[in-house]
Amino acid sequence: MRPISWIWFWYLLIGYFLGAGSVYLWHFLKERKMRLVWYEWILFILSGLTFIFLGQTFIGSYGEGEIQAAWMSVVFLGIPITLMMVGALRSLSSRLPKA
Amino acid sequence: MTKRSKRFYHSTVSRRDFMRFLGMGTFVAAGGKLINGPFKDLDEMMASPMAERKLPFWVKEVDEPTVQIDWENMEIYPHMGMTLFNPNSWGGEEGIKQWMEIQKRNIDSTTEAVRNNVPGQSLKDHALADAQCWGWGPTSIEPSWTGPNLEPNPMWEHPTMLWGPEDFGVPKYEGTPEENSRMLRVAGRILGAADMGFVKLDERTKKLLYGDIIFEDVEKGYEDPERHVKVLPNKDLWVICALIPQALNQYGYRRSWGNSNTAAYSRAGIYSNRIKVFLNGLGYQHYGGGTAAVGRAVGFGVMAGLAEYGRPGIMVSPQYGTNFRTVMLTITDLPLAVTKPIDAGIMNFCRACKKCAEMCPSGAISTSKEPQWADWADGEKPWQAKGIKGWYLDAKKCYSYMLGGEPDCNMCQAVCPFSKFDQAVMHDLVRMSISSTPALNGILRKLDDVFGYGKERGTDMWDLDPMDIPLFGLDTSRS
Repeated sequence: MRPISWIWFWYLLIGYFLGAGSVYLWHFLKERKMRLVWYEWILFILSGLTFIFLGQTFIGSYGEGEIQAAWMSVVFLGIPITLMMVGALRSLSSRLPKA
Repeated sequence: MTKRSKRFYHSTVSRRDFMRFLGMGTFVAAGGKLINGPFKDLDEMMASPMAERKLPFWVKEVDEPTVQIDWENMEIYPHMGMTLFNPNSWGGEEGIKQWMEIQKRNIDSTTEAVRNNVPGQSLKDHALADAQCWGWGPTSIEPSWTGPNLEPNPMWEHPTMLWGPEDFGVPKYEGTPEENSRMLRVAGRILGAADMGFVKLDERTKKLLYGDIIFEDVEKGYEDPERHVKVLPNKDLWVICALIPQALNQYGYRRSWGNSNTAAYSRAGIYSNRIKVFLNGLGYQHYGGGTAAVGRAVGFGVMAGLAEYGRPGIMVSPQYGTNFRTVMLTITDLPLAVTKPIDAGIMNFCRACKKCAEMCPSGAISTSKEPQWADWADGEKPWQAKGIKGWYLDAKKCYSYMLGGEPDCNMCQAVCPFSKFDQAVMHDLVRMSISSTPALNGILRKLDDVFGYGKERGTDMWDLDPMDIPLFGLDTSRS
């Protein structure tokens, strides 16, 4: 018998980060009475999906004992996630009402 | 940090390191303390005697079992024959009479269930139970051409064990070829076949049988040791091709022989016996034996669609890569729906990949880009049958290397980009790409290297947490 399988914990953590990020973004937009434009929606959704994929690949590779593959997936998938997030956030910040 | 955890294998220790890395160690330790007070942190938990067996934290080790035992008055069984399964233990003539009556009731009720096709107790269910029974008691692991020949043990608590349709007074099992194939797939998974395909013996596929197998106008096949031939009846016959998986050597040294191919060979023998007992229980003929009894395993496997022909001269499966030991072949007259060969882009990928050839320590695997027809003279390489346009393994080089000082070698299987554990969904995306976009094959091969697949990690299997090793060494996420 395996003592405890922690696999659920890592997927819970991914859900927590995505959920917390979405709630924060929703509050952020609501306070400033802003709405996302279509390409910002696409960038946020794509980066979220890629983040889930990265999480699964990282956890799965660790489970397979392929540690190098786990960290290389952070590099290969982390870069597009970062670029998409930077793009979406820069677009959002450019539309922020000036103080 | 322990010596083992430095090796970063997927043990509980490395998970702990992983948790620490994410700054979650404190959280988990706090959770552990709330639930299970004695441990302050994971280090303490790991250092406890419990850690040796890695029991769940809610399971305590105790000095005495939870059942009360009176050691002073503990009776000793005189011998095995006095257990309840033996009539001697039922107490004198009256007890034996009672035991015999129970046996008769068992026979009557089982026969009635089989005759009435009761779900879970039908002829095919009984045949599967019989098949699983093989190996219980003295037996040889190498089945004969028409065997194994098993005699029911009258002392068994299931007196109808190894009964066939005739014993039950029912006709042999009947189903459509599609139903039969599906039934065999289900039985195959239970009996040890990772995947299964079916080939009908016709003028073409008969050429994949060994030359000492001949056909005669007889009702039932037999083996003739004097003529050194095995005889099959001239009738419609199908070959059941079963993929026998092997451990991926993921947790030991890539070329270690302790956990991989030898174990798969013995499982192949067990499967072969059991599938034959299953067919026997259904009332059908079965022919075959050990791993080298019928014919070309790769040829039948490719024709059955279990895999494609690959660069190392062996099969490459889309799900298992090269990581299986053999295709066990069993010939039967049970009508089956044949399975077609497959194209998952593997042969195309082998053109670009060459990883197995580059890593092969004996240089036995071809490095030429394109597959070729055999160009040697007849009889020059008696161990290598000609007839395909492929990459021919120089089997003599391979075998000489293994016998000439290197005790074993699974390198070509371990490094094949298709040979992966299957927990990361990324592997499926890569396979989809290989199947649909061959232009990316070269890049995917390079990425396989960059991601560190196929590298020798030097993990010593003996240092691992036993619970981190899949049962029989097989990847439970896929096998």
